[in-house]
Amino acid sequence: MIQLKNITKDYTRGAEKVHALGGVDLSIDRGEFISIVGPSGSGKTTLLHILGCLDRPTGGTMTIDGQTVGDLPESALVRLRRKKIGFVFQQFHLIPGLSVFDNISLPLLFSRNGNGKGENRDRIMSLIGMVGLERRARHHPNQLSGGEMQRVAVARAMVNDPEIIFADEPTGNLDTANSEKIFRLLESLHTKGLSIVMVTHNPDLAGRAGRIVTLRDGRIVSPPAGRQYLEMGGGLPLDHDMKKADIERHLSS
Amino acid sequence: MAFIRLAFNNLLRHRLRSLLTLVGIAASVTVLFSILSFNRGFERGLADEIRRTGIHFMVVPAGCPHEVASLVLHGAVTPKFIDTAVVERIRGAADVDLVSPMLITQVPNVERDRLDMVYGLEMSHVPEIKAGWRVEGRIPGDGAGLLLGAEVAAHDGLAIGDRIRYGEREFTVSGIIGKTGSQDDAFVYMPVAALQEILKKRGGLTAAGVKVARPERLEEITAELSATVPGIQIVTMNEVMRSLATLANSAKVLSLSIAVIAILISAVGVMNSILMAIFERTREIGMMRAVGASRADIFRIILQETVLLTAAGGVCGILLSTLGAGVIEGFVREVMPYVPSGRMIHFDPMLAAGCVAFTLVVGMAAGGYPSWKASNINPIEAIKG
Ligand SMILES: Nc1ncnc2c1ncn2[C@@H]1O[C@H](COP(=O)(O)OP(=O)(O)OP(=O)(O)O)[C@@H](O)[C@H]1O
Ligand SMILES: [Mg+2]
Repeated sequence: MIQLKNITKDYTRGAEKVHALGGVDLSIDRGEFISIVGPSGSGKTTLLHILGCLDRPTGGTMTIDGQTVGDLPESALVRLRRKKIGFVFQQFHLIPGLSVFDNISLPLLFSRNGNGKGENRDRIMSLIGMVGLERRARHHPNQLSGGEMQRVAVARAMVNDPEIIFADEPTGNLDTANSEKIFRLLESLHTKGLSIVMVTHNPDLAGRAGRIVTLRDGRIVSPPAGRQYLEMGGGLPLDHDMKKADIERHLSS
Repeated sequence: MAFIRLAFNNLLRHRLRSLLTLVGIAASVTVLFSILSFNRGFERGLADEIRRTGIHFMVVPAGCPHEVASLVLHGAVTPKFIDTAVVERIRGAADVDLVSPMLITQVPNVERDRLDMVYGLEMSHVPEIKAGWRVEGRIPGDGAGLLLGAEVAAHDGLAIGDRIRYGEREFTVSGIIGKTGSQDDAFVYMPVAALQEILKKRGGLTAAGVKVARPERLEEITAELSATVPGIQIVTMNEVMRSLATLANSAKVLSLSIAVIAILISAVGVMNSILMAIFERTREIGMMRAVGASRADIFRIILQETVLLTAAGGVCGILLSTLGAGVIEGFVREVMPYVPSGRMIHFDPMLAAGCVAFTLVVGMAAGGYPSWKASNINPIEAIKG
C-alpha cells in the first residue's frame, strides 16, 4: 500500500542542519498494524507526517497505491488525506466550542463527503456508538475525560472511512486503563481491515502490534535488533514508566 | 455542520473580545449611517423649504457676498441696504406678482439689556413666504403687533398679549410661531415699516423676495431687472439652495471623513482581533489541515469569521443610528451652519443596505490578511505546537 525508498528529511535550525530522517526504507501492506518506537528525537513523528502526506520528504521516493507522491501537487495530497487517511494525535486536538457530534463530523465538512443530513447523522451516531460515547454526543470536550476525548478523536479519524490511520502517541496523555481502551479500539479497527500505524513510547502496547519498527537517529534499526532494543528497554525515556518485567511478559506471550 | 457555524462558534469562544470589536464597528457605522441619512434629509429639507416659500428669487444689494445673500431668507444681518424705491420699480416690472420687502437687523432691547434679532417683513405676506409656519394666536396687521419665534418666546417666557419695547415704540405679541427647528425660531418678527422707523432708516431694506406670475419666464425676468434696475443683485432660489448646500458641504465632508476614518480604525481592530484568534488557534488550524482542510478551506473559515463579525457590527450600527436619530440630529444641528426645519433623519432602507455592504467590503479587506496568514500556517509545526 505504501512504499518508502531511502526517505530523508532535513531541517535547518539556524545555521545547523538536522537530519531528522537519514534514509528510511519501509513498506506498509494493506491491513497491517505497525508500531513505531524509538528514543525521543529519533524521527518517529517526522516519519508519520511524511507517511500521512502532511509533510514532504527532502529526498527519496514514496508511493501510495502505486502513485508516486513526490509528483503530486498540494491539492492531490489534500484529496489523499481526505479519502484515505485518518489522524489521531497525542493532544487529542478537539475543538472546544463544538459538541462531540460536531467534532466528529468536522472532516466531512472538508471532504464534502456528506451524503445528506440524515445519512451523515446515522454515520456519526454509529461511530459514537463504536467508541462507546452514546450518552456524550451533545457534550463538549471540556466535559470529557482524557480517554473519552481520545475516543472522540478516533471516531473523527474514522468519519471519512479511511484506509489507514496514523496515530502519534495516542496514549501518551492517558493512564493505563484508558490507554488499553484506545489500543483495543485501534485493534478492533484493524480487525475490520484498516491499516494502523501507531507511534508509541509504551513498549507494552508496541509489542502487541503486528510489526514493530524501531527508529534510531532517523534510521530503521533491523527487526531483530529492534526486538533486542525493546527487550533492554534501551533508549526509551525513563519517564515512560518502563518496567522490564512488563516487556518480558509481553515478549514471551 | 456548515462552515458558517464553525466561524460563529469561533467568535463565541472569545465573547468579550468579539463584543468589543463589534462595538467598535457598530459605533463607526452608526456615525456613518447617521451622517449619510442626515445629508439625505438635509438636501430634501432644503428643497422642500424653498419650494414652500412661494418666492422665485431674492433681490439683494449689489456687492453682497453670495453666501450671505442666500442666508438672508433665514436671517442674516448684512452691512448694505437696498432702497424701497427699488422695490417699487420691481413691483412695476412685467410679470412680477409679489415683492416682499425684508429688513433684518439687531435691535437693542433695553428692558432685557441685550440685542434682539429682529426680522421686519410685510405681515400680510407671511402665509405666502413662510408657508411652513404654524402660528398660535394671529398674524398681526401692519401696526404694533409682533410674531415671536418659538425659542424667543420660550426663553423670555413671553405669551400672547405681552408687551415689548423697542426704542420709542411699544409692541404687543400677537402670535407665537410653532417650533420649526430652524433659525426662524430665534427671531422677533415685526412689520417692516415699524422696524424702519425704529432704525430711522426709512426705505432701507436688507432684501426683497420676489414671486413672478409666470415662472417659466423666470430667466428673462431676472435678466431684464438686472439690466434696468441699478444697485441690485438677483439671487434665484436655485442659487440659494446651491450656496446653502455649499455652506453645509465643508461640514459634510469633514464629518464624512471622520466617519470613514472611524471605520478604518475599527477595521484595524477587526484585523487585530482576528489575528489574535488565529495565533491562539494555530494548533487547531494544523489539526484541521491534517483531517482534510485545504488552504482554501482555512482561508474561507477565517474570512467568514471576519465577515460575520463586521456584518453584525454593521447591522447593530444601523439599529443604533435609527434608534438614536433624535439625539444625533440635535447634535448635528448644533454643528451645521444652517439646517432646514423639520426632521432630517429618515430611515432609508437602500442607504442602510449600502452602509452594511460598505462595512462588509471593509471587513473583507480587514479579514484578507489574517485569512491568508492562517492558510499559510504550516500544519506540521502547528500540530507540534
Ligand atoms: N521543525 C523542525 N525544525 C528543526 N528540527 C526539527 C523540526 N522538527 C523536528 N526536528 C528535529 O528532528 C528530529 C526528529 O524529530 P521528531 O519529532 O520526528 O522526533 P520523535 O521521534 O517524534 O521524538 P518524540 O519521541 O520526542 O516525539 C529531532 O532531532 C527534532 O529536534
Ligand atoms: Mg514525536
